Amino acid sequence: MEEEDQRKVTDLVIELVRRLLSQQNPQNASPNSPHFSQSLRYALRILSSRLTPSVSPDADAVAESIKRRLATQGNSSDALTFADLYTKFASKNGPGSVNNKWAVLYLLKIISEDRKTAISGMDSSVFLPKLGLNDDEMGNDLRVLNAKENREKAWKNGVLLVSKDPENLREISFREYGNLVEEENEVTEEVLVRDVLYACQGIDGKYVKFDSNLDGYALSDSIKVPRATRTIVRKLCELGWLFRKVKGYISESMDRFPAEDVGTVGQAFCAALQDELSEYYKLLAVLEAQSTNPIPLVSENASSGNYLSLRRLSVWFAEPMVKMRLMAILVDKCKALRGGAMVGAIHLHAQHGDPLVNDFMRRLLRRVCSPLFEMVRSWVLEGELEDIFAEFFIVGQPVKAESLWREGYRLHAGMLPLFISQSIAQRILRTGKSINFLRVCCDDRGWADAATEAVAAAGVTTRRGGLGYGETDALESLVMEAAKRIDKHLLDVIYKRYKFKEHCLAIKRYLLLGQGDFVQYLMDIVGPELSEPANTISSFKLAGLLESAIRSSNAQYDDPDILDRLRVKMMPHGTGDRGWDVFSLEYDARVPLDTVFTESVMTRYLRIFNFLWKLRRVEHALIGAWKTMKPNCLTSHVYTKLQHAVKLQLLSTLRRCQVLWDEMNHFVTNLQYYIMFEVLEVSWSNFSNEMEVAKDLDDLLAAHEKYLHSIVEKSLLGERSQTLYKSLFVLFDLILQFRSHADRLYEGIHELQARTAESSLSSRDKNKPRQTKDKSSEPGSWIREGRKALTQRASEFLQNMGQDLDALATEYKSLLEGFLTQLPVQQHVDLKFLLFRLDFTEFYTRQHATM
Amino acid sequence: MPREIITLQVGQCGNQIGMEFWKQLCLEHGISKEGILEDFATQGGDRKDVFFYQADDQHYIPRALLIDLEPRVINGIQNSDYRNLYNHENIFVSDHGGGAGNNWASGYHQGKGVEEDIMDMIDREADGSDSLEGFVLCHSIAGGTGSGMGSYLLEALNDRYSKKLVQTYSVFPNQMETSDVVVQPYNSLLTLKRLTVNADCVVVLDNTALNRIAVERLHLSNPTFAQTNSLVSTVMSASTTTLRYPGYMNNDLVGLLASLIPTPRCHFLMTGYTPLTVERQANVIRKTTVLDVMRRLLQSKNIMVSSYARTKEASQAKYISILNIIQGEVDPTQVHESLQRIRERKLVNFIEWGPASIQVALSRKSPYVQTAHRVSGLMLASHTSIRHLFSKCLSQYEKLRKKQAFLDNYRKFPMFADNDLSEFDESRDIIESLVDEYKACESPDYIKWGMEDPGHSLTAEGNASGTLDPKLEV
Repeated sequence: MEEEDQRKVTDLVIELVRRLLSQQNPQNASPNSPHFSQSLRYALRILSSRLTPSVSPDADAVAESIKRRLATQGNSSDALTFADLYTKFASKNGPGSVNNKWAVLYLLKIISEDRKTAISGMDSSVFLPKLGLNDDEMGNDLRVLNAKENREKAWKNGVLLVSKDPENLREISFREYGNLVEEENEVTEEVLVRDVLYACQGIDGKYVKFDSNLDGYALSDSIKVPRATRTIVRKLCELGWLFRKVKGYISESMDRFPAEDVGTVGQAFCAALQDELSEYYKLLAVLEAQSTNPIPLVSENASSGNYLSLRRLSVWFAEPMVKMRLMAILVDKCKALRGGAMVGAIHLHAQHGDPLVNDFMRRLLRRVCSPLFEMVRSWVLEGELEDIFAEFFIVGQPVKAESLWREGYRLHAGMLPLFISQSIAQRILRTGKSINFLRVCCDDRGWADAATEAVAAAGVTTRRGGLGYGETDALESLVMEAAKRIDKHLLDVIYKRYKFKEHCLAIKRYLLLGQGDFVQYLMDIVGPELSEPANTISSFKLAGLLESAIRSSNAQYDDPDILDRLRVKMMPHGTGDRGWDVFSLEYDARVPLDTVFTESVMTRYLRIFNFLWKLRRVEHALIGAWKTMKPNCLTSHVYTKLQHAVKLQLLSTLRRCQVLWDEMNHFVTNLQYYIMFEVLEVSWSNFSNEMEVAKDLDDLLAAHEKYLHSIVEKSLLGERSQTLYKSLFVLFDLILQFRSHADRLYEGIHELQARTAESSLSSRDKNKPRQTKDKSSEPGSWIREGRKALTQRASEFLQNMGQDLDALATEYKSLLEGFLTQLPVQQHVDLKFLLFRLDFTEFYTRQHATM
Repeated sequence: MPREIITLQVGQCGNQIGMEFWKQLCLEHGISKEGILEDFATQGGDRKDVFFYQADDQHYIPRALLIDLEPRVINGIQNSDYRNLYNHENIFVSDHGGGAGNNWASGYHQGKGVEEDIMDMIDREADGSDSLEGFVLCHSIAGGTGSGMGSYLLEALNDRYSKKLVQTYSVFPNQMETSDVVVQPYNSLLTLKRLTVNADCVVVLDNTALNRIAVERLHLSNPTFAQTNSLVSTVMSASTTTLRYPGYMNNDLVGLLASLIPTPRCHFLMTGYTPLTVERQANVIRKTTVLDVMRRLLQSKNIMVSSYARTKEASQAKYISILNIIQGEVDPTQVHESLQRIRERKLVNFIEWGPASIQVALSRKSPYVQTAHRVSGLMLASHTSIRHLFSKCLSQYEKLRKKQAFLDNYRKFPMFADNDLSEFDESRDIIESLVDEYKACESPDYIKWGMEDPGHSLTAEGNASGTLDPKLEV
């Protein structure tokens, strides 16, 4: 058959040459002329050569260019006709049709151009392309060709058909090489390729099998193949090994799935891997199909053919190999990880310069992240923690409502992927926490609107899966918008509905004694009660007294809700404690404000209260003392009847008492002024400012913490000023002692006053002196004694009181001196303010200098 | 249980300034002229019950007694817009309506005569209070009723309510111009004795200084009584703001006064106020900061007591105590800075025998009274230079007494019957010793003052008649 074809072709060529030559010179056309044989040989050489045109073999493109040319030449109808013809020609398929349509078109195009340039002659045949027509269809084709030629104005150039020369030397050597290869290899390459393909699906092939010693697929040693082949097989089979690993992981995870340690992220990861694998399967299917094509020898049709060799396979495998390797690495990394940690681990591999890897990782991460992002979305917008498998980087724990904010949720650093920065994570945490706080503690529904607004503003759909990996900006903007709105809403609720500021003010007014008139009445009415031993005091009664203090002070106009929260609290007491030691006020903050006013916060408020209360008590005592010695209390003229020396003594004692009072009062008043201006008011105004600018509850908590801390520190209640605080309390106790001394002194003086008046009367009536009758040591018993005795008693009493006062004064002075010298040593700047106030006229500085 | 304060306004001057005071309080608390709370007065935070109580129909009644021996001023009040404000039971006008004729002795004597009626009124008011803090007496010391009857009331209150505070707003006569009351020095001296002995605190309102301020600071060429009285009412209402707007400190009168009066005898307070405006007078509006206000308060031109001290004496004068009541919106941090500045500049001299400092009370401003200034300040201070005012009184008295002038008017009354003028001498001695005590306060050795008297030993028993040491008579 082939022989026949060859001959046919040769005959055709001979005929062609004869015809071409006879056109120029009929003599030359005779087959025996030397010119003829020369031309024939030349034609055959051209045909056997591999000259190809430099354009790409695209039939449509050629047809298009022909059509365009026809159109541009004004033959639009011709162009249409051509297009019609071409479609017909192109649609012809199957037996009897032209295979090499492009070649035919190209030939026709070249010829037509040839004619246009009016170059004729043999030389033009140089440009003739090779025609690869199936020999047995030749007749048909020619017919078609002829028909076409007729249409395009018949021309007489013939077509040259040449076939390869089977006797070509190279062909022979190639064939020999093929035989050699076959001899050398026990197994043919086709088989190996198929085996490799099997191996790459994790299946043992006929020759290529999984070797558990080598931990990989390999060609059995017993099979004789060249080393190169063996190596290439090993190399190719790496893919199989990787595949096994990935596949193993997937199926293992899938099996475990309902159990908790896979989780949704793991699931998503598996699904993504599975998808990648199905891509891979597709590839393998194609390859497998191709692998059935025999591998031609190099000589045969080398440029085309869908056969697969090992080498071709290695090209095919290059890309899947990279992916598979990555997957295997990821599988390795992720084996023990879950959730956010897994995403984080995968993310670490995404930073890759290779666009292939980068794309692949992106695709993968989009899938893997989607459950995580979904969690973020529903957390940020709905406050739902949809995290059955503990994969999210926010962990919730069941707590009481009051500690929900502080302890209810926290970040799980291990689950936080790197691409979500710490600050965003914090915002995410806070936003969801805010929603939960609103829902649980504030009983609020308004946050949903805020969330909807946030979504609208962020321009991200609320649909599930609306966010993906790589859209960190979108995530960030969603989180920011949601955070901004939810936080604002929360603060609104806290400020407006729960009246945070009002409660802070109430605490300042009642626990920090800002409501002066209330405190005063309370002090007035609970004072006598509190002097009793602590265990005899009924807190019930105190509550009643508190109630009446509220009713009779301006506190009565306060919000009943606020007043309702104010309670008496009796601290645990030991033996010997007086009511003063255990009494305190308490403010019940209630949900949700107890998040701010936690128990420990209230304990600190309590300490401040106790300090301020004590200070007030001391002030109260001093004022009381002043009232007993107020200017118009000693008006009687009876002193004129006293002995001069006693009078002097009285005067001196009174003066000392007043001066000491003045000094103590100065101390207490200025301490109070300091507490008011430098501590309470300043801290409050800072706090108010910070409250204004607070953007979220955490800011607010921090501001409040700062406020409380500054009060504690500046009121000497801090750790650092403990010694100062102690000496302050000793000073307070001294002042209280002074009060009772002063009271006794004035009591004595009044008594003296009364007795002097009496005795001056009685001494006039009765001349009998009764010196020794009622001599007792108590000052209150100068009854009907003689003038002299009276004077003596008075003198004694005054002397005693004077000595007591002096002792008190000395002790007070030295203690105060100690206190004042400690003040500048303190680290607090504000305590220097206190010193500044206490020593405004530098009285103590001078005193210190003279000492 | 408010710390109620009952106001007694005695005599012509007392009723005039008292009237202005109540006007001011009504404005500040949003109480109408009829005593009804205005609709806008809902802001609360103020205590009305210190100075007012509510009748059954909820209208606010001042805790005030209007006492005079002649009907003119009180009739004026009763015909004014405010006639329905006061409790008519609390108005006392002497039956004969002849007044006291600018005679202290007459006022005193008539006081004694109507003691029962007035004490009944006082008792009724006192019983109506839950925890009476004390009394405020508004009067002038120069005339007859305010000084004489006022003096009598001071003694009676001291007797009956010895535990309660007695504070007076005492108007001292203008000593720059010749008074139509020639016996003014006598009246002043006799009243001063009661103010020294029977009052707990005297806020000195010096007409001389008030006039000077009206002329110099307010640029009024010929200030009327109404204008100076409005200065007085400003001072009076400002000094009670901490009682009416309770805050952290100074919420009762005792607390307020105790720190101001460390030594019982030196209980005469000077006042200063800034920025000053007279009712409805358009003034230049100045920038007011805490420092500005505190600094201005220390300037003598803003002080409502004239200083008769000579330069040398003035330089030795010292503050015993200062309380600045700052009203308005004040950043508390400014207080400290201002105090520091004042100390650095040594703007103020304090006593050396004890610790002292400028006390500052921040108080709210009434939301119902619009003022052009952001911050205003009142100073209450005990200053030793006030002794020169008393010395001036003494010297004027001495001049008159030497001439034995006008004494007949006094001899008509029982106290001075039989030419017994010992009351004058005693008063003189007491004022003298008061002046001495103020002087002693200027020295660092005040504590030992009056103690060194080597002439007497402890054992010597003799007639300690008090002439040797008149200070001890009280």
